[in-house]
Amino acid sequence: MPASNSAERLAALAAATGPEREALVLASLEDIAPLVREQAIRLATRYVEPEVLGTLIADGVNAARRNGALAALERQGPYAVPYLVKLLGSADGELVMFALQILARIGDGSGAAGILPLLRHADPNVAQAAVEALGRLRATAAVPALLELLRGNLWLQLAAVTALGEIGDPAAVAPLLKLVPDSFVAEQAVRSLQRIAAPESLEPLLGLLAQVHERPLRDAILEAVGVVLDLHPDPESAGAAFSREADRDRGPEGVTPFLGELLRTIEAETECRRELLGAGAEGVPLEREALAQSAVAVILTGRLRSLYPLVLRRAGEPDVAWIETQWRRHARLQPDELSALLAHRDPQVRRGILVAGEFGPEDVASILARLADADVAVRAAACRALGLVGDARAAAALIERIREGTAAERLEAAAALGRLPVEAMAELRRSLDPDAGETTIVAALDAVRAAEAGVFEAEVLTLVRSPSNAIRQAALRAAAVLPGTRAEGALLRGLGDRDESVQLEALELLVQRGGERAVATLAALLSADDSLRFRVIRALGRLRAAESAPKLESLYPHAALHERVEIVRALTTIAPPGIADFLGVRLRAPEPEIRHVAAFGLAQLAGPDDFPTLLEMAGHDDWALRNEAARALGRLGLPQGRPALLTLVRDVEPVVARMARSALAGLGNGSDSAAA
Amino acid sequence: MIPADEVECKLLADLVQERFGLWFGGARQEILLTRLRSRMTALRLPSLLDYYHFLRCHPQRDEEFDRLACQLTNNETYFFREPHHFDIIVRHVVPALGEILRSRPLRVLSAGCSSGEEPYSLAIALHNAGLELRGIQWQIDACDLNRDRLTRARDGVYDGGSLRVCDEQALQRYFERADGRHRLRERYRKGVRFFEANLAAPSGTLGSPPYDVVLCRNLLIYFDDAGFDRAVRLLGGGLRPGGWLVLGHSESLIARSDDYAPTWLEGAMIYRKKPIEAAA
Repeated sequence: MPASNSAERLAALAAATGPEREALVLASLEDIAPLVREQAIRLATRYVEPEVLGTLIADGVNAARRNGALAALERQGPYAVPYLVKLLGSADGELVMFALQILARIGDGSGAAGILPLLRHADPNVAQAAVEALGRLRATAAVPALLELLRGNLWLQLAAVTALGEIGDPAAVAPLLKLVPDSFVAEQAVRSLQRIAAPESLEPLLGLLAQVHERPLRDAILEAVGVVLDLHPDPESAGAAFSREADRDRGPEGVTPFLGELLRTIEAETECRRELLGAGAEGVPLEREALAQSAVAVILTGRLRSLYPLVLRRAGEPDVAWIETQWRRHARLQPDELSALLAHRDPQVRRGILVAGEFGPEDVASILARLADADVAVRAAACRALGLVGDARAAAALIERIREGTAAERLEAAAALGRLPVEAMAELRRSLDPDAGETTIVAALDAVRAAEAGVFEAEVLTLVRSPSNAIRQAALRAAAVLPGTRAEGALLRGLGDRDESVQLEALELLVQRGGERAVATLAALLSADDSLRFRVIRALGRLRAAESAPKLESLYPHAALHERVEIVRALTTIAPPGIADFLGVRLRAPEPEIRHVAAFGLAQLAGPDDFPTLLEMAGHDDWALRNEAARALGRLGLPQGRPALLTLVRDVEPVVARMARSALAGLGNGSDSAAA
Repeated sequence: MIPADEVECKLLADLVQERFGLWFGGARQEILLTRLRSRMTALRLPSLLDYYHFLRCHPQRDEEFDRLACQLTNNETYFFREPHHFDIIVRHVVPALGEILRSRPLRVLSAGCSSGEEPYSLAIALHNAGLELRGIQWQIDACDLNRDRLTRARDGVYDGGSLRVCDEQALQRYFERADGRHRLRERYRKGVRFFEANLAAPSGTLGSPPYDVVLCRNLLIYFDDAGFDRAVRLLGGGLRPGGWLVLGHSESLIARSDDYAPTWLEGAMIYRKKPIEAAA
């Protein structure tokens, strides 16, 4: 089919109205061009009633139309539910299965009661579809019936196991455990136990992990244990029992070698990806990472100490922050174990324990020793650890790292100094000398900011006049956390800096700092018609500066378009009296950008009195306005908003339809009025 | 950075589609967001909506669209990618044109040429086929939306990923060392010229048609259906009847256009513009 024809057919679809549209839409459901078919489905969702679409589903001959009708019914969501529930009583088994599948995909729980009797349907395919639908709908009421099915037909058994996992009722834990390891559905039962994640399943699952050697099932059990452990309130006792069991099986297939081999393989895979795809490559796929997380949780809970170095090797890498979390939650070390790890021959392990470990004042000497480590990453991690301890004895060594260390060390040392008592930082003054060098001064200023150390105010205020942009910006950041009007004055002067990036930094810091003087200065800057003004307008909004609202409103008619957009957004945030009227007028502005921001504002601020305006937005040609109408109607929760939402739920724009569906869900069960 | 809202993503994706014809809906939305981040950081705009409004209304929006174009079309390619397409040109297209190429050069358009790896690879292939010895000249026009990439193409200096399938022999033969990088030898740059163009442009012509061959590989996958059709019409408008349109292995005109005859050559599907009888 020539491309131009598909463009013409699309145009015809867009132009059609009334009864002609429905006929054209239904015919276009079987168009050869995917683009035309997709548009037809969108229009069918919006304009064709479920009953009409149902006749296309019943037509077993025309598969293209049937598929299009199925997609449209699914997208109609709650609007189609009453009709679909009626279809469940059909004598046509195929039609019933289609209805079940769509109800499941829509995910509206109001259909569940109508599905339950179908579990005993004579046609096993229908019964299976009913089981699957109840699982998708998370119908707790179906659990007793699903448990009975665990003893029946094999396919229904598999479907029931899956459904029980989806529903997540702990009543299913014991029956599911009985299916592991010796049944056809063992692996799926483990997956379902993982979804349920009941605390009582932890100990049996850990036992199975030690006993089962068959690899796919063992992987599944490990993953399930990881999830259950993660959600368990107190995994200690189960961990102790597992530790004993792991000790008993020291053979090559024992759980300790299994977990060690798994971590080594995943680490190698990560290295391999980095080598092949470059340093910026993402780590291993998510499912492998999930397995690694589970393995680490089990190792730490079960005190498998021989594997600790393997766990720590990856700690400190940005994409595996979970290792630190797991380590702090589960690992318990004796002092000699900690010392051994700090002195481990592998620098990755030394860095790992410094990053993940928990230290106290008694460990300061051991950590300080690591500041002389040959490995830069270890030294940086030691700086970080010293900061977390917060002991004043570390100050001199950290200040020395600021002066002599690498960029990574300076960064960590500055942050660490921020956690130490300010009295310990006197020596830092030398690093704030204008002659100390840019990198040292910037790091020292970062330390002042982190410590909010007002004792260095004079140095900071000197450095805000440095010829270096980097130093001025760092000094402004430090000034922003210091109390008093002199520091605030430095920030206000920063708005007039010769460098735009410094100006923007000063503006951002002023907003973060807040205060009446900042508002007054920024409001005064509104008179200057320059490139900074749209950012100043936004800043006033972020400051919720109510006193600036009249000035913003009076500036509006004279401002450029990008500034008017910011004024509407700022006024929305400030929300002065009469804002809804202001936004209502902007909703009719000729510029779509203004209409959009006005609609966003009304979505946040409209009250019940604005209902007519919201209805007007709901019928607008612009999808963004319809979307915000749905958002506002959902937020207000007015019963009279339901018909509009039931129209929007079938919107041609999927974003709008999703928003309306979410809004309808917030209104409660409304499917009974869907046919209205 | 504030998390991306679905509405903000759609507003931006629609704007990019409208401006460049590039489609970043569905699963591709994440790619769009990743590529926008550095621009948002540079402009100190914390949310997608801030950036969207900047692009829609700010007085410097045109300059920003230029920068965005560079960001969005920053797709890596490399020398001798899918080399069977060059074999097709040497073994089938050139012989089919026969005597005509005694009186005029072979004319090729490389659309979406990035930093020049494709047109230069073709020039090398034509050179290696000994066409010059047979008195056959060529003119390869190459275009891209990304201005920075075109500058790199004109410089003809490469390293890393661009040379990933070049062995040491190929590096020595086709390149000379320049400050630790590889500069394409002058003789392979002859007959290749670059210009800026947007394939999503609603109408007009591309380069200096008519062309015997248009290469547009692994680019149309970034377009939506309407943009795809528009780009194919634009490319087709530059092909002479009987000319060849070469697409990437995952792009197809089957069931999309009656204006071309699909042809299976050297293990690849390429498309010949109708009417074929009018060809030389």
